[in-house]
Amino acid sequence: MLATVDSCLLAGMEGRLVEVQADAANGETKFFLVGLAAASVKEARERVRSAIRNSGLQFPGRRLTVNLAPPEMRKEGSMLDLAIAVAILLAHVGKPAPPRSAFLGELALDGKLRHVDGVLVAARWLRSRGYERVFVPSADAEEAALVEGLEVIPGADLASVVRHVLGGTPILPQTTTAPSRHSVAGPEHDLGEIHGQEEARRALEIAAAGGHHVLMSGPPGAGKTMLARCLPGILPPLELEEALEVAQVRSLLGELPRDGPVDWVRPFRAPHHGVSMAGLIGGGSGLALPGEISRAHHGVLFLDELAEFQSSVLQALRQPLESGRVTITRSGGSVAYPSRFTLVAATNPCPCGWAGDTRRACRCSLAAVETYQRRLSGPLLDRIDLKVSVRRVPTGLLANEPLGEASAPVRERVIAARRRQLDRQGCLNAVLKPARLRRQAELDPASRRALERWAEQQGLSARGFHRAWRVARTAADLDDSDQIREQHVLEALGYRLQDAAA
Amino acid sequence: MATGCKMPQPDIAGLRARGRWPPPEGPRAAIVGSRRPSPYGEAVAEQLSADLAAAGVVVVSGLALGIDAAAHRGALNGGGTTIAVMGTGVDIVYPAAHSALAEQIVAGGGALVSQFPDGTLPRRHNFPARNLTMAALSDVVVVVEAAEGSGALITAAAALELGKDVMAVPGSVFSSLSVGTHGLIRDGAALVQNARDVLAALDVSREVLDDPLRPPRRVGFELGRSRDGIVRHLSDTLALSAAEIARKLQLPIAEVVGRLTSLELEGAVRRHGAGYVRSLRREERRA
Repeated sequence: MLATVDSCLLAGMEGRLVEVQADAANGETKFFLVGLAAASVKEARERVRSAIRNSGLQFPGRRLTVNLAPPEMRKEGSMLDLAIAVAILLAHVGKPAPPRSAFLGELALDGKLRHVDGVLVAARWLRSRGYERVFVPSADAEEAALVEGLEVIPGADLASVVRHVLGGTPILPQTTTAPSRHSVAGPEHDLGEIHGQEEARRALEIAAAGGHHVLMSGPPGAGKTMLARCLPGILPPLELEEALEVAQVRSLLGELPRDGPVDWVRPFRAPHHGVSMAGLIGGGSGLALPGEISRAHHGVLFLDELAEFQSSVLQALRQPLESGRVTITRSGGSVAYPSRFTLVAATNPCPCGWAGDTRRACRCSLAAVETYQRRLSGPLLDRIDLKVSVRRVPTGLLANEPLGEASAPVRERVIAARRRQLDRQGCLNAVLKPARLRRQAELDPASRRALERWAEQQGLSARGFHRAWRVARTAADLDDSDQIREQHVLEALGYRLQDAAA
Repeated sequence: MATGCKMPQPDIAGLRARGRWPPPEGPRAAIVGSRRPSPYGEAVAEQLSADLAAAGVVVVSGLALGIDAAAHRGALNGGGTTIAVMGTGVDIVYPAAHSALAEQIVAGGGALVSQFPDGTLPRRHNFPARNLTMAALSDVVVVVEAAEGSGALITAAAALELGKDVMAVPGSVFSSLSVGTHGLIRDGAALVQNARDVLAALDVSREVLDDPLRPPRRVGFELGRSRDGIVRHLSDTLALSAAEIARKLQLPIAEVVGRLTSLELEGAVRRHGAGYVRSLRREERRA
């Protein structure tokens, strides 16, 4: 007798359908598992056999063949355990599997269903493929139930799933709880706690409003990290779709909390500068797992001490910065992960950190400063629209610097400016390509003159020209202005750093 | 300062040159100093050089960052001739950021000269030899801001060796950039307060340099005649950040950043590190 049960495996943010076909024939008692199963899947044979026996069910004493189709796809992981067990039992009793249903989950030897990573990703993908029901371990049910229009059957163990499938005691589907927004926590860091730093605050506001990347340069202790941590608090909360994408990445990594899997606060990731390529971009053996840039998807990636990062690691950021996604190829194949984040980078201006400071002398040799700054130059910096100096205020004088505006009103302005952009062009200004910039961000004659004069006088590259243009568009949006005016262009040109060593 | 060890005589006749060479007749003053000057030093070098050039002095310097560049710029602004003595081949501009400046020097009737063959890349050991050549080419060497061990002091030592005058511009006693120049003054170098001091050392007689009835113009700034009054709140010598100016004037930061950029475009202010300083007489320069 033959039974076919559907399940799926994950390749990045995509699912791959796996048909588990089981054939129970008369003959010598044997159990074959075919279909390019990797070691971790081959082991399912032993788990499934023990789980069936220990669930009080009978393991068919027949010639069993389980085929995992398509055979050319390499299968890895324990997500298929439940489907294999159910297929065997259905084949034995000669019953068909429930239609448009898929089974996900790992089996313990006692028949309990264990958590698997990436259930949310799998469930969303199955729904998009027209599946209506998914059986998942109870531990992952809430996660799967985030997917609208999908019936989620939470299974505590194999026996209860089998009873449900064979028409015995039904399991109540997990109620789809629309993710509530009441859990929006206040930001951990508030701009209202920062003394002075008006330039950097303004740069962050523009960055938040237009989705621009920011570089802050300043001596140690100037407050660069503190400023960066304020950015999530002035960004609008995640939209449902965005929150689900963030949750999917966490789901793949098994980092989704059981209670309230959806977080509305934008992610903030601050990898240490020793981070490896695989850690930042994504990697691992077989199929690559998401790295820090994908964990920061729809949020903020903060790279402190930018010059200390390996240059190869920084260069690898170019593609994701450009396209908002990263494609990683490993032995197991290519996977793509989303990585649309706002980059906030911080650096010292020189190895000792005091170059350009008026209050304290820099102790580095000129050559050392040049080498240091050269490490920062190049294609990565080209993609950062806003660059500001952050000054260190001596602790004793800090109280003299006024406290700035709190995050909440800034966030209101950011949200309004973002709405303007989305209404006008359907995307944020930071991702406007030059052609669209010309169409959607017209310069008035005075602002065009200012920009062109600057380009001629200061030798602005084409890229630099468009950078300033985009930032000017955002400054205008924050100003609630349809037209880019001279003032906006001039301000945009102001967010750059002085050349090396001068 | 005078090290005592014999310095090799530079070979002036064998110099390679780009531009007008030999330069026009006239006294020559080398203006040299730190590659990372304070805004004060940069301003002094630029002003001094402009005044000297306007008085017909050929300004010699080394095309390096900082004081050297300010000296060349000043001479060009003063409508005079300036010579860049390079530590590389004349076909290689170092630092590369000064390519435009090098072109302006040639276009302004000056020259780029080098004792090294074409194609010589910047090498650490070539620069002291270049400093000797600079001294040999000049009648007087003026040092503006030099920390201890600065290359400008090598030029000064060479000038003494060659029997040329050495002069120095004093600076703040709080600044490490004054250590070298004050040391020179202590050892007998003449103190420079304005271009007249240098012209006197060069024996240039100019009938009316200043109106004798008015106090001599100090080495300092002539305020740019900018339309934007914000420039008055900036300092000549101390960099102020946009935030500080915004706070002082109670203006929104966005506006201040924009207006400062506009002033930069006019040439009335320039960046120094994390802040802005007033520049001098830039609008005449563009004319």
